[in-house]
Amino acid sequence: MSISLKRARAIFVKDYKEFSRNYAISFSVIVPILFAFLFRSAGPSLPGAIGFLLNTSFVLLTCLVQACLIAEEKERNTLRSLMMTPATTMDVLIGKSTLVFIVSVVALAIGVYILGYEPASIWAFVAAVIFSIILYTAAGTICGLFSKTLLEASLSIIPVALVFTGAPWGVLLADDFPIFKVLEYAPSVQLVRLLDIQNIGFTMENLLKPLLIILAWTIVLTIVSVALYQRRLKDE
Amino acid sequence: MDVIQVEHIRKRFGNKDALSDVSFSIPKGEIFGFLGPSGSGKTTLIKILTAQLNPTSGQASVFNQPTEMMQQSALKMRFGILTDNSGLYERLSIEENLELYRQLYDLPKSSIDKVLQFVNLSGERKKKVNRLSKGMRQRVLLACAVIHEPELLFLDEPTSALDPVNSAHIYKGLRCLNEKGTTIFLTTHDMAEAELLCNRVAILYQGQIQTIGLPRELKKQHRENVVCVDLINGEAYELPIDEGTAVQIADWMKLGLIERIETKEPSLGDIFIKMTGSELL
Repeated sequence: MSISLKRARAIFVKDYKEFSRNYAISFSVIVPILFAFLFRSAGPSLPGAIGFLLNTSFVLLTCLVQACLIAEEKERNTLRSLMMTPATTMDVLIGKSTLVFIVSVVALAIGVYILGYEPASIWAFVAAVIFSIILYTAAGTICGLFSKTLLEASLSIIPVALVFTGAPWGVLLADDFPIFKVLEYAPSVQLVRLLDIQNIGFTMENLLKPLLIILAWTIVLTIVSVALYQRRLKDE
Repeated sequence: MDVIQVEHIRKRFGNKDALSDVSFSIPKGEIFGFLGPSGSGKTTLIKILTAQLNPTSGQASVFNQPTEMMQQSALKMRFGILTDNSGLYERLSIEENLELYRQLYDLPKSSIDKVLQFVNLSGERKKKVNRLSKGMRQRVLLACAVIHEPELLFLDEPTSALDPVNSAHIYKGLRCLNEKGTTIFLTTHDMAEAELLCNRVAILYQGQIQTIGLPRELKKQHRENVVCVDLINGEAYELPIDEGTAVQIADWMKLGLIERIETKEPSLGDIFIKMTGSELL
């Protein structure tokens, strides 16, 4: 599948202009910063603070903004117009995802800095956050493609919030309800496991296992989002 | 060379045929009008030709390529489309919307000025789309569809929201585009528009082509064989076209009694009603 960076860039620039003028959606940028300030006042060593900040921001910023950008294009028929131009599926998806990716990276970097979190392994932390942003962008794309309106898109992220953001709490109930053991493999739980690794005495396996599970989720959801977009090219 | 070839296309939605056994071809450089009331299958056909829908049976090709290939970027560079499924970015200005299309089609910056002149919006380029009237939006959508001066242009009711002055401006632009070699596939229920623009028309009703041909020939074919004569004394006659009538008219002319004389030619709308028994809505 061909990719034209020029076309992807044109779509990114267009999305940036639309995003910066849409205060209802661009307001989401403050979510990680707001949480960071709240948790900072409670102390940087607050257990689970960084996990909550990241997992909530992935849904309320990355996933929500991407879902709204896609759903608004559908609602106003601009996605169909875009599909009729020479822009390929990858041009459109890369162009649209780049904005959400950059906004998420910047907002999360500021949030983590304010919180004062120091990871055990900086490369593993950066990789996990990057994989997660791509994963939640793909989830947002799927939510947006299933929604017909902006309102529907806002509601469509609720299942993502329940399953992914709620998984670290759900897994605590696994002793009483064994079915919740399956949540152990949720990307949000694996991220929390990675964030909880202490600075001293960790092994490469401790880092790789959660990273690989998050990466697997990222690959699967990205493939699903691309396939779903391809199906939306048709009116069947 | 035919730009579009359609052979026995059938499209079924549920238990209803939107199109049944539709066949026609459009040579390069033609303005082809697809006429019919709302829901007659016009938009469905455009969707099939642009690979947004698969036909249930039959074959269609555009630029000698099967329509499934129309998703390829190289073919998308060659056509433009304006349908009621087209949209604009509301928070962006007219110029910013066109800038996106300019970059997607990899065109020079001058193409924006050119297309704004084409749709008569040069003075409004900085206006935000959410502040435009329906007619102005339609013109911006048309500008997006023709900015790359496509070889083939699909237009679905292009002037439905426009006033007569702007419609006339668009007609002039479309003719100019056609003179440069653009083939135009136009769907409309405006018979006057079809008569004014189209080289050839097809009348579609309940998913089937009822008739196809040159507007002039269709009118001739469906013309009533009578001549209407109004005399200066107020009398009016509807006479059969034959030798007797010719002699009678010649006599009246010698006496200077004729005020008006005309053949009774049907409009495309009349032909549509005659063929289908339905009004165009």
